[in-house]
Amino acid sequence: MAVREAVRPGNGPGSTRGGGLGGAIGTEWIKLWSIRSTWWSLLASAVLMAAASLQYAIYATNSNTNADPTDNQGVVAVGKTGIQSLGIAQFAIVALAMLVITTEYSTGTIRATLQWVPRRDRMLLAKTAVAGVVILAAGTLLGILGALVAAPMLGKWGRFPMPGTVADVLAIGVYLALIGLFTLGLGAAMRSAVATLVTVFLILTVVPAVLENSHVTVFVDAARWLPSVAGEHFMLRDSTPYPAGVGLVVVVAWAVAALAAGYLVLRGRDA
Amino acid sequence: MIALRGLTKRYGAVTAVDNLSIDIAPGRVTGFLGPNGAGKSTTMRMILGLDRPSAGTARVGGRPYTTLRYSLREVGALLDAKAAHPGRTARNHLRAMARSNGIAAGRVDEVLASVGLTEVAGKRAGTYSLGMGQRLGIAGALLGDPPVLMFDEPVNGLDPDGVRWVRQLMRSLAAEGRTVFVSSHLMSEMQLTADHLVVIGKGRLIADAPITEVIAGSSLTAVRVRGPEPAGLAALRDRLAGHGAQVESAAGGLVVTGVTVEEVGDLAHQLGVHLHELSTREASLEQAYMELTADSVEYAAPAPNGRVA
Repeated sequence: MAVREAVRPGNGPGSTRGGGLGGAIGTEWIKLWSIRSTWWSLLASAVLMAAASLQYAIYATNSNTNADPTDNQGVVAVGKTGIQSLGIAQFAIVALAMLVITTEYSTGTIRATLQWVPRRDRMLLAKTAVAGVVILAAGTLLGILGALVAAPMLGKWGRFPMPGTVADVLAIGVYLALIGLFTLGLGAAMRSAVATLVTVFLILTVVPAVLENSHVTVFVDAARWLPSVAGEHFMLRDSTPYPAGVGLVVVVAWAVAALAAGYLVLRGRDA
Repeated sequence: MIALRGLTKRYGAVTAVDNLSIDIAPGRVTGFLGPNGAGKSTTMRMILGLDRPSAGTARVGGRPYTTLRYSLREVGALLDAKAAHPGRTARNHLRAMARSNGIAAGRVDEVLASVGLTEVAGKRAGTYSLGMGQRLGIAGALLGDPPVLMFDEPVNGLDPDGVRWVRQLMRSLAAEGRTVFVSSHLMSEMQLTADHLVVIGKGRLIADAPITEVIAGSSLTAVRVRGPEPAGLAALRDRLAGHGAQVESAAGGLVVTGVTVEEVGDLAHQLGVHLHELSTREASLEQAYMELTADSVEYAAPAPNGRVA
């Protein structure tokens, strides 16, 4: 046993430091930043956000026929730019969240991950924490980026109300974090990147458009409860058809439901 | 110590692992043998809590793997060579692994050096050859300095140098008092590495015995007797048959199976038979294994209840 004494790793025999949920979160943090797709996803989200914000600002400026900017008509709060520009950029964030779980299955590393962190609830919780925090920060930065890109283009048609802009930018971070967790949960349940991406795309983009254009009251009303529509209510602080806070609760519910589904599949099935 | 009790895994109508009850003891290398599809990998995955048993339990150090807080400090395992994300460097792979179990970061460079990957630790695992992937997997198994180690086909893709290194590593890990459980298809390699064998076929236990016993049990392991007196040899032949031995006549003597060389010698002495040769001919592990697993295929089909052991 001499060799074992000589190369004792960790913090000594019987040590209770490290490991557990903290260790699992640390592991997921290292894993996230040590593959290139994370950086590519973030870069893509920034490029898409900048492009969409620029386009939105040009559109807002050009469509203004009112010659007097002091007149409130046609003036845009720059913080709103990011919200209006999320449509495409959010899918780069969706990809980031998806890859956290689906690459585990496509590369077979899930078997390694579960040897390191054998408790599946802990493994999923660690991924949830890391993806949630990273996307919250990245999403907030995207909101700031959108405002910064749009501001010079909007010029006299732009407005920079400080508290409102901060709220707008934070709301973007919160919305993207929740959509990311929704994606993570679906990814855990479906395991396949293609199936996950298609499902998320349908739920965020296609289904609401189809329902809203159906002109059937029941369907139009149902569309309000989809995560992207509810998220927009929340971010734009709309009061109809329900308060902004309800919009937030709806998006949270979608994220929680997806994570619960992911956990149930993860718990029951062989890795 | 790994303890399996009634371990069973069914996929629909197919039973991949069938009521396996074995103890894999510390301080020796236990070889895990069986034909393709015998259930070796499934058994290992169940031990690691990756697959859920249909029935029975698998415990490591008395506990199910999934309840271990510091799993990597209890069990080190190499399941397949491509366990690392191809886009992550070997060092980052091991850093992430160490972090999960509160293992000191310095240990990462230690194990990288011990498997000879220090030079390429900054390269992405996807660029690794099969042999380098195996070395990285072995580094991971050693990371937590665990008392129990499992290796699924560890010498796959290794060069002769690497094969010998793995053999010496297994021997030294067992000599340090650890439990070493290794599957392999290379019988010649197993014969050099293992002290004890667990053989399964079609998910069922065929043998759980010291390697010497497995080889001795082969029909190809025999005692050869030669002598100048045909009458004496005939008498010896009758006495051996009475002891339950199978005896065949061969040029100028007998080939005896089913008894030890000591018994044959004692009987010859009692009978006063003049001998010119009394020697043993040992089967190879490969021969013994082929016999064992051929039997399992033959007898497993009618499916008698209980173990074929």
